[in-house]
Amino acid sequence: MRSHLPSLPRLRWPIALWTTLLFAAFSNPSCAQDSLELFEKQVRPLLLERCASCHGGQEPEGDLRLDQAEGLAIGSRSGPVFVPGKPQESLLWLAVSGESPDLQMPPPPHQPLTHAQKRSIQQWLASGAALPVTAPSTDPTENASTDFANTPASDLWSLQPIELPVLPDAADEWSQEPIDRFVADRWPENHLPAAPADRTAWLRRVTIDLTGLLPTLEETEAFLRDPAPDAMERVVDRLLSSPTYGQRWGRHWLDVVRYSDSNGLDENIAHGNAWRYRNYVVAARNADMPYDQFLAEQLAGDLLPPDPSDPYRRKIATGMLVLGPKVLAEVDERKMEMDIVDEQIDTVGKAVLGLTLGCARCHDHKFDPWSMEDYYRLAGIFKSTRTMEHFTKIAKWNEAEIPTPEEVARRDTHQQELASHRDRIAMARQEAIDRWKQSLATDMPVPEDPEPMLPEADRQMLQKLRDELKELEKKAPEVSTAMAVSEGKIDDVPIHIRGSHLALGKKVARGFLAPVPLPAPQIAPQQSGRAALVAWLTDPEHPLTSRVIVNRIWRWHFGQGLVRSVDNFGELGESPTHPQLLDWMARNFQRDGWSWKKVHRQIVLSATYRQSSSTTHADLQADPENRLLTRFPKRRMEAEAIRDCLLQVGDRLDMGVKTSYLHVKNREFFFDHTSIDKTDYNHPCRSIYLPVVRNHLYDLFQLFDYNDAAVVLGHRDITNVPTQALCLMNSALAIDSSQGMAKRVLALDGTDAQRFALAVRFALQREATAEETAMACRMLDEASQRGLDPLGAWSLLCQGLLASNEFLFLP
Amino acid sequence: MRSEGDSMAKISQGGPIAIDRRAMLRQSAIGFGSLAASVLLSQSQGLGQTAPERFALEGFIPKAKRILFLFMKGGPSQVDTFDYKPMLERDHGKELPFDKPRVQFAPTSTLLRSPWKFSQYGQSGTWVSQLFPEVARHVDSLCMIHSLHGTNAAHGGALLKLHTGSDAFVRPSLGAWVQYGLGTENQDLPGFVTICPTLAHGGVNNWGSAFLPARFQGVPVGNASTPSDQAKIRFIEPAVPRDRTLQRWQLDWIQQRNQQHLAAQGQDAALEGRIAAMELAFRMQGEMPEAQDLASESLATQQLYGLDDPVTANFGRQCLLARRLLERGVRFVQVSHSDAFVQWDQHGDLKKGHEKNAREVDRPIAGLLDDLKQRGLLEETLVLWSGEFGRTPTAQGTDGRDHNPEGFTVWMAGGGVKPGFHYGATDEYGFYAVENKVHLHDLHATLLGLLGIDHTKLTYRYAGRDFRLTDIHGRVVREIFA
Repeated sequence: MRSHLPSLPRLRWPIALWTTLLFAAFSNPSCAQDSLELFEKQVRPLLLERCASCHGGQEPEGDLRLDQAEGLAIGSRSGPVFVPGKPQESLLWLAVSGESPDLQMPPPPHQPLTHAQKRSIQQWLASGAALPVTAPSTDPTENASTDFANTPASDLWSLQPIELPVLPDAADEWSQEPIDRFVADRWPENHLPAAPADRTAWLRRVTIDLTGLLPTLEETEAFLRDPAPDAMERVVDRLLSSPTYGQRWGRHWLDVVRYSDSNGLDENIAHGNAWRYRNYVVAARNADMPYDQFLAEQLAGDLLPPDPSDPYRRKIATGMLVLGPKVLAEVDERKMEMDIVDEQIDTVGKAVLGLTLGCARCHDHKFDPWSMEDYYRLAGIFKSTRTMEHFTKIAKWNEAEIPTPEEVARRDTHQQELASHRDRIAMARQEAIDRWKQSLATDMPVPEDPEPMLPEADRQMLQKLRDELKELEKKAPEVSTAMAVSEGKIDDVPIHIRGSHLALGKKVARGFLAPVPLPAPQIAPQQSGRAALVAWLTDPEHPLTSRVIVNRIWRWHFGQGLVRSVDNFGELGESPTHPQLLDWMARNFQRDGWSWKKVHRQIVLSATYRQSSSTTHADLQADPENRLLTRFPKRRMEAEAIRDCLLQVGDRLDMGVKTSYLHVKNREFFFDHTSIDKTDYNHPCRSIYLPVVRNHLYDLFQLFDYNDAAVVLGHRDITNVPTQALCLMNSALAIDSSQGMAKRVLALDGTDAQRFALAVRFALQREATAEETAMACRMLDEASQRGLDPLGAWSLLCQGLLASNEFLFLP
Repeated sequence: MRSEGDSMAKISQGGPIAIDRRAMLRQSAIGFGSLAASVLLSQSQGLGQTAPERFALEGFIPKAKRILFLFMKGGPSQVDTFDYKPMLERDHGKELPFDKPRVQFAPTSTLLRSPWKFSQYGQSGTWVSQLFPEVARHVDSLCMIHSLHGTNAAHGGALLKLHTGSDAFVRPSLGAWVQYGLGTENQDLPGFVTICPTLAHGGVNNWGSAFLPARFQGVPVGNASTPSDQAKIRFIEPAVPRDRTLQRWQLDWIQQRNQQHLAAQGQDAALEGRIAAMELAFRMQGEMPEAQDLASESLATQQLYGLDDPVTANFGRQCLLARRLLERGVRFVQVSHSDAFVQWDQHGDLKKGHEKNAREVDRPIAGLLDDLKQRGLLEETLVLWSGEFGRTPTAQGTDGRDHNPEGFTVWMAGGGVKPGFHYGATDEYGFYAVENKVHLHDLHATLLGLLGIDHTKLTYRYAGRDFRLTDIHGRVVREIFA
């Protein structure tokens, strides 16, 4: 089933294992045919007759299902039930043969199998135990693929197969690249492309866009002096291979998975280990991890074999499922559990599929084709996943131990210390007792526990040793942990009527969204189904996964997606402005090994991206919302970019990788009832490393439309409120950065005009115009008349540059 | 999806930070020749005093123009304040003769009588306990709902439910919805201000705008950890002291650069919007310290709010600031009575705790009502007094009560409610709302209704569906409309 996914050869799925298992035993196809015939003619009927009444249906005994051939293949709670070709090593044979006193099937008082029946099973096992590949279920209503067949095809655009559209002809010099051909194809016939942005503007745009930072003077100069035709390509390659790229684009993904260092909602306690997931995302993006693998690790990394070079990475990745906001003091524990499942479905649904599935918790989706069955199929997968350690208030989310070698050594040492201390106590006790015995008359009876009879000094000595042991026990060395899921209690979930856990309907088998026209991978009875979920999501024929992500990437570059409702590909979302381009990009993305960086390259080097952002009256008339991409969309920098660029230009930015800046320990409250915020944001690190505290985000971030950190958000608003202006006028960040910049400017030994030219290059990368230079010089004169010293005057001037629209908007 | 581009369309539909064009042109040193006149026009259209027609509650002329929410954090006990239960006195120490709720926050034992005596006040003969002798003077102006009930027994969930209508998801706050519906009346101040709010139990989400445009979010003045005389709007003052004329001089330079940039870039609503916002910020910086200058109030007024008594001064200052903001046209003001502990949350020490709490707020609230009446503001101002839930009539320990979302009392005043009126009732012990039950969703529907907004029509499209403050619930309790 995974054979169509060549980019992930190292992932091994249970389904793949099963397939391997089925055919490994047969080198000769005709043997397989004989074995299969034996199964169909003799084994299957007897299993149905003698076994299926207990080992069948939705809740088979021992999780072994014998009313379906695949149930036999999947095995029981205790593992595989047969070894092809080897009856004697097969649990199935052991159970029915009567050879084992501990395992007799059917169990007494039922009659054992007849000799003929036993012989059939033995022969079939010996012949290689072939099973049909798509095993027809004995109960057709329970087969997931049957569900699919029964569902009328949806006419929702996003569920139609992804096409591989033919490239439109290149109409002119402008539209050489594929993206540009699709864009130009939608323009009215006589439309003339906008002028390209000048080189400085493109450099500033692409540097902020890919790294969230400004180009340095050196970078700008080098690019402007580079006459080579591939100068732009080399800039893009440099930016994509810079670690600052992942610090920017990892943050985009964190918006989508509602990353936070705190729980938020009612009990705002610290996600003390969330940073490990955050750094995982940054590293994965920097490594350009294929998106299908990226999803696999986040949804089911615990089920994958660990990467030897980074053994905990895949566990840490599953932190994504644990990061959601939870009502941890919910008094109704069953409600809490289903609320958490709902949050996971909502997140995965929106983030990966662009679907609002939450509606179907209470009723069939009003607009989209999702039914309550679809919802509870997925709910079963997440409910069978262990996200929580327990639900007793204050409930505790799950964490996995990820000890470093040093921690393992420390823990071992501690264990040894404990053991030797216990030995010491035992020895001291024995010695004391022996001494005491010797002091006795020989005929005195010795009580079973003579310790209370010991001399005071000995008893005190023992007490002291035991106290020391207790102290030592308390000093158990801490071991690193990460928020992570594991397989939980495997169960299907009944439909919750009107979404209430108090009104339960029929159970639905774990599975996927039936209206998605894709064969559903089988979920083994003893598995949550996350592995199969990944296989389903990353199937190249899945109509949503690749479309949704290329659209997100497009949105992060252009400020609007090709589908503007980036988190909603349903009926109430928007349809794509350029459907063919979207499909072409999705197919191309798959062909390029699900690489984000290749998509970036295509986009930022396209003529579409390189257009000027200036707007003419005619543009506004013809394409007011820029749906046809007749210009580069103007947009303000995001909160993080504003802060990082301010620090950068003020010469204060620390570009290093950071761990955690939380001031509270894991699971501790951020605020007690005193409401005093002790979180420290005063670190000159890149913004992605600052704490993200739900319910109390860093005010600077919140002000500039940071995401809410509690919900999936692929499209941040750009709002405009006066407090933003207050921040740029009055905050320590703005004032200190301006002063830092002023010092850099004053370090130049030159005229006011030369210094101003440098200031403009720092902040805007371009050359100052004569007009603005004259204005600045006038300002400086006025400032000195007002009695300001040079640093004061230049600080005000620099702050003016940094608070202006030209600085805050991408050129 | 929202962006500044289409926010202009939203502005014309109501709920803007409206820009007074003349004021802006007057105050600007440079002028805004290039600002599109259409932008300014559409913004000033949003200055509506009443709800735009598409949100309007049909067949009703509202009196209330703004809301003042007095929030008692922690859950004041209804049976010790405004919901008199003689049976509780009689059956003290006995078992509750019916089932306790399926879900309880903490176990409670037998019935516990109120440690305070109740008396009747005013022409309405309203029973009020000894805890609120000053508020009791106003009973003939109050409209009490005794049958409020919610669904969440924990502070966090209950706060979120009360403030946003949802305890499971991040949703816009009531104040944000009100601003979205009615817009602002003051161009120099934010339209939704929350004074000294608690950062715990939902924190910022209790005054957030969630998916509504950010300009509708509440602007906090300090927080619960700040003494009210030190509470300020963030960034309202320069981190380093700076001369205001110098700042104007600098701003002029910025705006000049912005104008040139705009001219080069071509018409753009976002760039123009930022130019206007910078001016508004500068004005706010001038206006807010003036609004917060309580010393300019007469001594008599200060005394009315209890500023002369250290016990009442902290909350009194919040109430007085609230009045000054309401006077200046702020649409929604919240005052929180919240301290270093969960203020009204007396699981134990009921007697001591409730007495202290009531002492701190009784005089300031009564003074506020007096003041609003004297200034003729009460008629257009809807005052709401509420906790996130009530408390159990059964005892926790010997001198405490547990959370009780099943039935509690809130009161309103002014703004078109029936004065001296009582609506709904709890059972004979005050545990469950039993008569004319009013759910928190119904309270929200009613508050919007009193402002002339139909809660079923005040919708915002987000992630593919139309959201409401009341989700799919809510009944307007028309019975309390004057």
